[in-house]
Amino acid sequence: MAEKILLVDDEKDFLSVMSERMKNRGMEVTTAESAKDALQEVERGSFDAIVLDLMMPGVDGIETLKAIKRSKPELQVILLSGHATLEKGIEAMKLGALDFVEKPANIDELTERIKKAKAQKLVLVERQMENKLKSILEAKGW
Amino acid sequence: MKTELDIIAQAGLRYFGRTTASISHELKNALAIIRENAGLMDDYLAMAEKGLPIDMAKFKVLTGRIEGQTRRADGLIKNMNRFAHSVDEPLRKVNLNEMVELLAALSHREAAMRQVGLQVAQCQQPVVLVTAPYLLLTLLGHCLTYALTAVNAGGTIILKVQGDTPGAIVFESLNRLAALPPDAFPDERVTVLAEALGAHYQADSAAGKVGLTLKNLQ
Repeated sequence: MAEKILLVDDEKDFLSVMSERMKNRGMEVTTAESAKDALQEVERGSFDAIVLDLMMPGVDGIETLKAIKRSKPELQVILLSGHATLEKGIEAMKLGALDFVEKPANIDELTERIKKAKAQKLVLVERQMENKLKSILEAKGW
Repeated sequence: MKTELDIIAQAGLRYFGRTTASISHELKNALAIIRENAGLMDDYLAMAEKGLPIDMAKFKVLTGRIEGQTRRADGLIKNMNRFAHSVDEPLRKVNLNEMVELLAALSHREAAMRQVGLQVAQCQQPVVLVTAPYLLLTLLGHCLTYALTAVNAGGTIILKVQGDTPGAIVFESLNRLAALPPDAFPDERVTVLAEALGAHYQADSAAGKVGLTLKNLQ
């Protein structure tokens, strides 16, 4: 099944070309040019992974990552930046980002990481389901 | 205890660091777009090898994007080069119109991150004076950062060059969110840099204006 991706970047040309390359690789891609649009898409849709630019006007990638994780903790976020520093990478991972990729990214590497993100999300969703079932069973005393 | 020279050196280095970081970030963005467009051309060629026809109109869009981003990167490098050469001589003749144009170009990303536009209003005549160009850029950069703190997203700062006494630069904020925070200006760096340049600063926090009157150092 095709990976469902939300690609977030304030550079229109980047969004356009990257989404086409991802689609050529069989992914279903939704794009957002700002953190605000991205958060709306997160509320609206279901994604296997979010590829998120770290430096954006207004609300930056780290703040967006926090908001995504608050709203849907199972979502897997890959941060993409032309400005990668070790500190930012560590901060992002501590906040729950799955990966941190420096621009310009290699599309095949990014595709691999997206597949990893999808697998990770499936594990988390399965675990959430298990916990839900367990709590129902405990509550009913079966 | 920090001497005035220490403060100037630290302020200058800090300005150099954040400016080159900002330019390199923009350059990386341009390179990423160039690389992905080249990659997409490869994708089309790989599809053509499998017998799918190449859409020439789409292909032309990609070459246009590569050309546009190459021009963007070239502009960034030219500005970085002008910035780097501002340290060549401690004192030299500068045209404030050109200096403010360079400042706006170097500060474009800082302003864009706050969703604020920068507009340059040059003086009709060249405003030429002898000054320390790198120190002046550093001082202007700090003043602009301060002016940015009060502008609402979607707002604009006008960078005005005035040709009197012998030259002045005023940052005027439009669409202000609030008055400029009066206790944040001038900080230690602005005071020491202005003194070294023989410049006078004025901040009208209610009107959202920051101004610098410069001195000919010759």
